[in-house]
Amino acid sequence: MLTFPILKTAAVAQYPAMRYVEFRNQTVRFVDGTEQRYRDASGPLHRWGIRLNALDESEIAAIEEFFAANQGAFGNFAFTDPWDGQVYNNCSLTGETLEVQALAEMCGNTVLTVQENRG
Amino acid sequence: MLIYPQLGTGALSQFPIRKRRTQRTVVNTTADGTSIKLADASGGATQWELTYEELSDSELSALEQFFAAAEGSLNGFVFLDPAGNLLAWSGKLDNPVWTPGPMLSVTGSIVDPWGGTQAWRLANTGNGAQAITQTIQAPSGYLYCMSVYVRSPLPTIATLLLGATRGDRSVNSQWNRIEFAASGDGTESSVSFGLELPAGASVEVSGPQVEPQGAASLYKATTTGGVYLGARLANDTLKITATGLNRHSCTVNIIHADHL
Repeated sequence: MLTFPILKTAAVAQYPAMRYVEFRNQTVRFVDGTEQRYRDASGPLHRWGIRLNALDESEIAAIEEFFAANQGAFGNFAFTDPWDGQVYNNCSLTGETLEVQALAEMCGNTVLTVQENRG
Repeated sequence: MLIYPQLGTGALSQFPIRKRRTQRTVVNTTADGTSIKLADASGGATQWELTYEELSDSELSALEQFFAAAEGSLNGFVFLDPAGNLLAWSGKLDNPVWTPGPMLSVTGSIVDPWGGTQAWRLANTGNGAQAITQTIQAPSGYLYCMSVYVRSPLPTIATLLLGATRGDRSVNSQWNRIEFAASGDGTESSVSFGLELPAGASVEVSGPQVEPQGAASLYKATTTGGVYLGARLANDTLKITATGLNRHSCTVNIIHADHL
């Protein structure tokens, strides 16, 4: 199983980092205004927005290799939540596109979004 | 086959470089959030946006001639990733892309300069010089820089091979990055890079890298390498701005699709 690459500082993400928790619920609304709600899924799924700046060429290359090894959104990997250190074993990238920009030497940036998969 | 031109400095592009890699996956997401995925391994593409500033007349002329020869997006060409390591499997010297000499033993899992175990030990057990080489489908006349981290318990000489040219570098017991930049003299469509050791030498190596420029940048581990055959210009228009005497700027968009 692949593991999400860490930076040379051993960090996974930089500020500003985003984290989402998503439930899947359905609501049935009746004519009298009352509602009945139920769960569509067994629990929440997590998603992380990772914006990386000031990367050096080795770090960018590692992220590119990781993206290629995953074939974009297809592959699964283990991801360590940078907030609490919990490891989520079944995650994947959400996007099919990885854009990296080298503004100068040792000054690259990119954005990734990781999502937890169910099942 | 056409070849994307280098600038007068030997570099292939200037900062900023924007690179976009795209893959294709068919995803069927069910109501509870479970996903069923189907990969399209050959549906990937890579795009570069190369921004040039302060080009001289001769550099601009080379770009214009190339654009005319490619006829915009019509004809394919060889493109070397300006931000990449051209060698494939740079961290796996036992991969078949590497050709070791018959008397050269290659051993992995050696402690590398970064504290991991990704280095390799090359031991020449023969009576003559032995080399490990990799041949890439790139123009032999380009300016290249080859670099590699080396150390050896006994001082020795390692020779970096770049096509027909050779550069001797001393190796000691500390990790040092040796590099060698040279232009090939031929018009061949492939060029070999390698490291040659004298008889009896044992050298630990890590991070071999080849770049289409005059000096080495930070090491980038690879699997596929940075040579793109069949790349194309993404546009049929080349917009050039003359900002002064002998000073020009333009932007070039290049695309390489795995399925073409």
